[in-house]
Amino acid sequence: MKNKTIMTVLKKVGAVALTGAMTMSLLAGCGTTGPADGAAAGAAGTEGGESAPATEAAASGDGASFTIFNSKMEIQDQLVEMASKYSEEKGVNVEVYYSSDTVAAHLSTRYASGEPYTLAMVDAKDVYSLAAEHALDLSGEDWVKDTTNAIAIDGKTYGFPVCVEARGIIYNADAIKKVTGKDFNPDDYATLDSFTALIEELKAGGMATPVGIMKEDWSLAAHYLAEVYEQREDPDAFVKELNAGSTDIGADEKFNSMMDTFDVLKANNYAAGSAISAEREVTEQKLAEGEIAFMFGGNWDWSVINAYDYSENMGIMPVPQNMDDGTNTKLVGGGSKFFIIDSSENTSAAQAQAAKDFLNWLVYDEAGQDFIVNTCALVPAFSNITLPVADPLGASVKKYADAGSLIANYNYLPDDHYSVLGAAFQKYLADQTDRPGFATEINTYWKGVTLAAH
Amino acid sequence: MERNKMSYKVSQFLMFAGPASILFLGTVIIPFIYGLYLTFTSWDGVSKAKPFVGLTNYMAAFADAPYWQALGRTVVYSIFSVLFINIVAFLLAYMVTSGVKGQNFFRAGFFIPNLIGGIVLGYVWKFVFNRAFVAIAESISGGTAPSLLSTTNGAMFCLILVSVWQYAGYMMLIYVAGFMSVPESLKEAAMIDGCNTFQATMNVTIPLMRASFVQCIFLSITRCFMVYDLNLSLTKGEPFNSSVMAAMHVYNQAFTYKNYGTGQAEALILFVVCAIIGVTQVYIGKKGEVAA
Amino acid sequence: MEEKRTAGSGLSRALMMIVLIIFFLAFVLPFVLVIINVFKTKGDINSAPLALIGSHGFILSNFPEAMKKMDFWRVFGNSTIITTCSTILTILVSCMAAFVIVRNNKWKACALLFSAMIASMVIPFQVLMVPLVSVYGGLFGVLNHRLTLILLHTGFSVSMATFMFHGAIHTNIPLELEEAAYIDGCTRWQTFWKIVFPLLKPTVATVAIIDAMAFWNDYLLPSLVLQKKELYTIPIATQAFYGTYSTDIGLVMAALLLAMLPILILYLFLQKYIVKGVTSGAVKG
Repeated sequence: MKNKTIMTVLKKVGAVALTGAMTMSLLAGCGTTGPADGAAAGAAGTEGGESAPATEAAASGDGASFTIFNSKMEIQDQLVEMASKYSEEKGVNVEVYYSSDTVAAHLSTRYASGEPYTLAMVDAKDVYSLAAEHALDLSGEDWVKDTTNAIAIDGKTYGFPVCVEARGIIYNADAIKKVTGKDFNPDDYATLDSFTALIEELKAGGMATPVGIMKEDWSLAAHYLAEVYEQREDPDAFVKELNAGSTDIGADEKFNSMMDTFDVLKANNYAAGSAISAEREVTEQKLAEGEIAFMFGGNWDWSVINAYDYSENMGIMPVPQNMDDGTNTKLVGGGSKFFIIDSSENTSAAQAQAAKDFLNWLVYDEAGQDFIVNTCALVPAFSNITLPVADPLGASVKKYADAGSLIANYNYLPDDHYSVLGAAFQKYLADQTDRPGFATEINTYWKGVTLAAH
Repeated sequence: MERNKMSYKVSQFLMFAGPASILFLGTVIIPFIYGLYLTFTSWDGVSKAKPFVGLTNYMAAFADAPYWQALGRTVVYSIFSVLFINIVAFLLAYMVTSGVKGQNFFRAGFFIPNLIGGIVLGYVWKFVFNRAFVAIAESISGGTAPSLLSTTNGAMFCLILVSVWQYAGYMMLIYVAGFMSVPESLKEAAMIDGCNTFQATMNVTIPLMRASFVQCIFLSITRCFMVYDLNLSLTKGEPFNSSVMAAMHVYNQAFTYKNYGTGQAEALILFVVCAIIGVTQVYIGKKGEVAA
Repeated sequence: MEEKRTAGSGLSRALMMIVLIIFFLAFVLPFVLVIINVFKTKGDINSAPLALIGSHGFILSNFPEAMKKMDFWRVFGNSTIITTCSTILTILVSCMAAFVIVRNNKWKACALLFSAMIASMVIPFQVLMVPLVSVYGGLFGVLNHRLTLILLHTGFSVSMATFMFHGAIHTNIPLELEEAAYIDGCTRWQTFWKIVFPLLKPTVATVAIIDAMAFWNDYLLPSLVLQKKELYTIPIATQAFYGTYSTDIGLVMAALLLAMLPILILYLFLQKYIVKGVTSGAVKG
């Protein structure tokens, strides 16, 4: 009896072990499929610089394969679709990835793991921090001459601008006309006084709360507050003064001018009582459907608005201000989202070339141009692309850009600026602090940061 | 006897604990040591250079006021969460072992939140707080209503509420097991001696369930201290960064603000705090019990 | 296991029932809300989140669209393979380790391993994240294999599982049984699989359930290890999906429901065993 049980146990153990082994081999089999495994093999020898490209090229046959990291959520769908078409036509295998993580966090794990994206779409500030070690010098590319929006560091171009984006007040002209009975011309409302008068008129006409405010920290701090730095001759000098503590932002004319406008927006916010929990979706739906008429934002908001029953006549206008320095006739913006090509040994020459070809395709091929302008509804960052911009917000931006009425982005804000001052701005929005209190927080923040050299 | 020979010990250990040791060493210990090394560098997370800077990161961590605020907040959050998780779990366990109709059905129902990961849970609850509750409040008051998530205390309350909701069912099952391990005869004896049901529970059942309490409290403390998923998907630190818990601050410090070394040092401090509290709790709880 | 407490009057019993029902409703409320909103367009969800049917009517299209976009069947397959293998492996290696630790608690190696495992249970994962990818990606280049994730999953969960098996062997397995087996001439290996392992069944069930749930729902580790689309698991796909389509809340609802559905169905089938498994193994930690 004893022997019998032992035997059954041993049989069971054997069976388990066998299943285990089978599973392992099966899994190992699964794991080694997929075209880009050569990269992993190449990375196995830590510094296997020479062998990696060879393995890669062999593994992928004729065409190279490369990966794109997309950090622009709105166009993920379009990019994926385009990639599969592009792969078919060019015989190059393109895969598109997206992460809702911050760009730096996500790329950090990819660099650490030795699996960088061939082509990564990053924000301007990331180009500055990544270029030196991770990005390929693209100065020799044709498209450099056709744009003023690329990012160059020390005379070398690293960042390929994906589009032009600008910030201002988004308006719904149809909604305004419905109340006032007159065609809305944004140029008439450049000053805060005239803007306030219009708001009063709208309120009198039955639109009780004509404004929506996005409470997101990036919108408040990185977009609205940033204009305080950007709308002046030398933002760099101003930031340095703040950092040194030699300037009090509370006494700054521009700051007060922008905040005066913000106060008007705030007072007429449809979600005044719950400003901090107003959901972006809901706000943009109201704007699209004409329940409210104004919202501070940028042309990227179109991707949200166009999902609803939007009104025909919408656009972006400069932030109205009483300060008479000409900035109230300009939007703030410029090149936005930049492609960099990985320069590490994990990316083969063939892959880098395929990525370069892709960038050229975007700029010079009709299909590429069509993709940027019509499929993704972006404002192109290249002067040779003449296709009319598809969406109304983009059209506004293009109009200002063509007229030279764009104030440049300030791309050197510290990484925690949007978070720390976004929180402070939210407090102001929720009436938990007043303007002097807010100004004090800004002053304190700037005194505590270390400015990166650029 | 040959059992005392070194070679016997080694071969036995390797045979049984070998695979576990190797996997554990490889996945936890080696990265941990490498992580420890990184706290002595000023690496930014993306560059290739990892300059050695000694204790600078620890000094930065100790001087990082928002980190200590986040840690303090985490302590407050953990105290309330652990308390309510265990109270609710215990009460539920009491009720579903009392022989009411459909107790198995209830046990299953209360366990459902455990089936879903923290991130998904957070998004679902965010929808509940920001849309559903607001819609209810608006239909009652007739005007616009703020979401609970929009106030400092409200956001904290929501985090605690969802944590309780998430873990109570799991802890309940451990308490159920505790209730079931106490022999009915002991309670009956107590009741014959003149105790009522309440007294019998307080004086007989609860003391015998000590192991369950120790285990539940240990599990809830460690989970609350390291909360991240829920924090990220439910409040994202809002409003005004007032609901940023320690783990989220660590993550932001390391990746968003690109001070990887400092973030890692702060994470290690979190680990030490967490380990001290957890171990102390188990130690106190196990004292007086038969040694495990 | 049928426990009945005779105490309590009809009134307190009714009260208890009411409290239980209230709690039950609170526990399932979020799921109900997801379910009613998944059949609406996003506009309707924004304007009337509580309505049973939106003004655009009852729509089913969120499902097929979400399934297509998250590539549901492939990620479902990946999740299934990874969860199953990791769970089996974790159980096998941890119960063996627990056995040698319990029975030889004077050996230094055992004591060291066990204390290291206990301590590791409170390491925040963020501490290990980048070192982990640096070692396994940068140094060995073994990311993007399901096997790597399975081994890492096992490595991370082995402490908790060993801890649970430790308690179970310590309290529930009488030493006499094993000694009888040795006298009969069994080796330790045979004794373990023949005598001890069968007695551990309740704990095996517990560990299986807890770990399977954890593996199925884990996001952070898989997202670091599996960076290629064809290897994505359900949580990665859900998260990528939420990030990408967060503007389309109807689709997100459908994706959330799809993500929880498999485990919910499994749970309904295994419900009885799950409750038993968690409870029986948990008495002694």
